[in-house]
Amino acid sequence: MRLPGTRYQEHGWEQVRKLLGHCSLQAFRRLEMHQILDAGQHAALLDCYTDAVAEALRAGARSARAEAEGNSYGDSVYELSLSLLFELQAQPGFWLAFAAAVAAEHARSGAFWLDAAADGVMRKKVNDMYAGLRDKVDADNYIVTTGRDCSPNKIYTYRMLDTAYREIAGLFADWRQHAEQVGAILGRAIEGSPIETRQMKSIGGCKPEWIVRWSESQERYAGSPGPLHTKSKRFASLKNSPDKIAAMLAEIGDYEELSANMDRADDWSGDAGEAALWLEDYWRVIGESEQGEARDEDRILPEPADDGEAGLSDDMPDDSSEGAAGPEPEFKAHDLAVEQSLAGALSLPPRYLELARAAQKAGSWALRILGGESLPIRLAVYQKLLGAADDTYPEAWLDPATGELPTLQQLAALDQISMPTLRKRRNEAIDKLYAANTAPAK
Amino acid sequence: MKENELKSAQDEQDARLRERALLARAAPGDRLMLADATLLAALDGSRVLTPNERQALSASPLTLRRFRQLSLERQASARSPQAANDPVWSGSSGMLRAASSATALESLATDDGCWTLHFLPQGEGWQVILSLSAEAPFAARLLREHVMVRVIDGGGAIVLQGRLDSDGECECGWPFATAPARHFQMYGAGFAVEPVTP
Repeated sequence: MRLPGTRYQEHGWEQVRKLLGHCSLQAFRRLEMHQILDAGQHAALLDCYTDAVAEALRAGARSARAEAEGNSYGDSVYELSLSLLFELQAQPGFWLAFAAAVAAEHARSGAFWLDAAADGVMRKKVNDMYAGLRDKVDADNYIVTTGRDCSPNKIYTYRMLDTAYREIAGLFADWRQHAEQVGAILGRAIEGSPIETRQMKSIGGCKPEWIVRWSESQERYAGSPGPLHTKSKRFASLKNSPDKIAAMLAEIGDYEELSANMDRADDWSGDAGEAALWLEDYWRVIGESEQGEARDEDRILPEPADDGEAGLSDDMPDDSSEGAAGPEPEFKAHDLAVEQSLAGALSLPPRYLELARAAQKAGSWALRILGGESLPIRLAVYQKLLGAADDTYPEAWLDPATGELPTLQQLAALDQISMPTLRKRRNEAIDKLYAANTAPAK
Repeated sequence: MKENELKSAQDEQDARLRERALLARAAPGDRLMLADATLLAALDGSRVLTPNERQALSASPLTLRRFRQLSLERQASARSPQAANDPVWSGSSGMLRAASSATALESLATDDGCWTLHFLPQGEGWQVILSLSAEAPFAARLLREHVMVRVIDGGGAIVLQGRLDSDGECECGWPFATAPARHFQMYGAGFAVEPVTP
C-alpha cells in the first residue's frame, strides 16, 4: 500500500522487520542488557543499541535480503532498516515500551536474553517495537506531505482495508471456487459470471459494503472472524460508516494511480542545497515575526480528537547521569607526537587529527557553537546527526580504510575517553546545537 | 578544491547540521501545531506569525517538517519553467470573518479573491460549491488542465475534493454534521484551497 509520504507500508516491510530483528539479536549479545532493568540507563542503552544495530546492518549491507527492494520508490531493505533504526532515537517512547516489556519478561524468567532458546521471545518484542514505530513514522510522514492530520491508528486502518481489498480481489479472481462467499460479498445469489469481479480493477473500484460483507462472511467461509467483526472491536465502528471506508479506499486508489510513475519518495536526506533553501525561509519568517508589531489572534491548531489510540507514554527520562562510566583521563593529548601514536594504533593516518582539525574552517556555524569541544567529539556529533558518510565531509575527516568517519570506538580512543563518556559529551554538544538553533539571534 | 567551492561545501554542511538539529529532536507528544494556511501566509509575507505561533513552530519538529515541505514546494514552483509565461498557483487561503457568523453562512472567499465557497441548504444538510474566479491569473491554466483541487478546513480535514469542471466549479455535499459557520469556527476559522499533487 502506498499513501502520500509513507515509506514502510509496502511489500518489503516483512524483510525490513526480519533484518532489524536479526541485527537486534546480534546487538543484544554484545550489550550490557541487564542495564535495561534500570530506568536510569535506558537512554544510554538506546545509544549503544543504535550503534550496535547500525554496525550489524552495515556489516550485512551486501546480503541478498539487505539489497532487496523495500518499497516501490527504490529504497532497499537495508536503507529502510537503517532509517527506521535512526527514527527510534527521535521516538524514544517505543524504546521505553520495549524496555518495559523486556523487564516484565525478566521478572518471569530471568535473564532470558542469554538463552538462545528464548530468541523467539525477544524477536517478538523487537517486532512489536518496530511495528508500532513504522506506523508512527509513516503517520508523521503523511502529515508532513499532505498537511492533513493522521495517526498510527489511521495508518493501521488503511492497511487493514488494503489487505481486505486484496483478499476480496483474490476471491473475485477465483469466483467459481468461492461462489458462495462472492455471493455473500456482493449481496446476491451468483448466476453466471458476476460482472463486478471483472469490473473491480483497483482498490478505488472496491465498494465499502463489499468490505463489510466480506468481513462478516469470513467467520463462515474462512473459519475466523473478519477484521470488522472480531471480538476486540478495534474496527467495529467502521461497520456502520461505509462513507468513511469509501473515502479511505478512494484515497489509497487515487494515490496509487498518482504515484505509479514516481521514481522516488521525498526522503529527508534531501538534495544538495535544500537545507539552506528552506532554512532561509525559516529564519526570515521567524525574523519577521520577531519584528512584527501586529498582534493578531493566535491560530494554533486545537489538539486533534483522540482516535482511541492506546498511546505510548512518550517521555524519555531526561537522564544524563553517568553510572558505570570509566574514570575520566586526567590529561588531554595536545601533543602532536601523542596524537600520531594514537592514530597509528587505530590504523588511521598518523597526522589524522591535525589534518582533520585544519579541514574545518573557522567561519563555520557549528564550530562557533562547538568550538570548545574536542575534534573527536565534534566528529561524533556529525556522525550522529548526518551519518557516517555525507558528501559534505572533507577528505581529511574520513578513515581511508572505509571512506567514512572513524567509528565511535576510534573516536573515543583518539580522545582517550571511554565510550560512555564520548556519548555523554556528544549528546551534550548536540543539546548545545538545539539550543543555539531554537534561539536564533539573527 | 577552489576556495569558493570549499566555502559552499562548508555552508552546505552547516545548513544540513542545523536542519538535522531542528528536525531530528525527540519531541514527546509532538503534533501539527499550525495549519497550512497559517504557514503559507507567513511564507508569502501576508501575515506574520504571532509570538505564540512562532514558539509553537520552533518547538515542533513535525510542524517544522511541514514548513520545510511547503517552503520547498513554493520555491520549486517559482523556479519551474511555466512560471515565466503562465502564473503558477500553489494554494490560496482565507478566513471566516466575524460578521459572517451572525447569519447563516452563504459564502466564503479566499484572501486573494480567486476562489469562493458557496453553501446551499439542501434537505437536512448543505451543498458546498467551490468556484474559481475568471479573473484569477492562473484561471486559464487550471481550466485547461482540469486540475484536481481540494478545500481543507483549519484542522486539515478535507471539505471537498475533485476536479474543476469547465465552468471552474466543483461541488459536493457538506461532509460534516455541524453547520458550515460553526464548523469553521471550531477549526481555527481558516480554510485553504490547494492543488492535489502526488
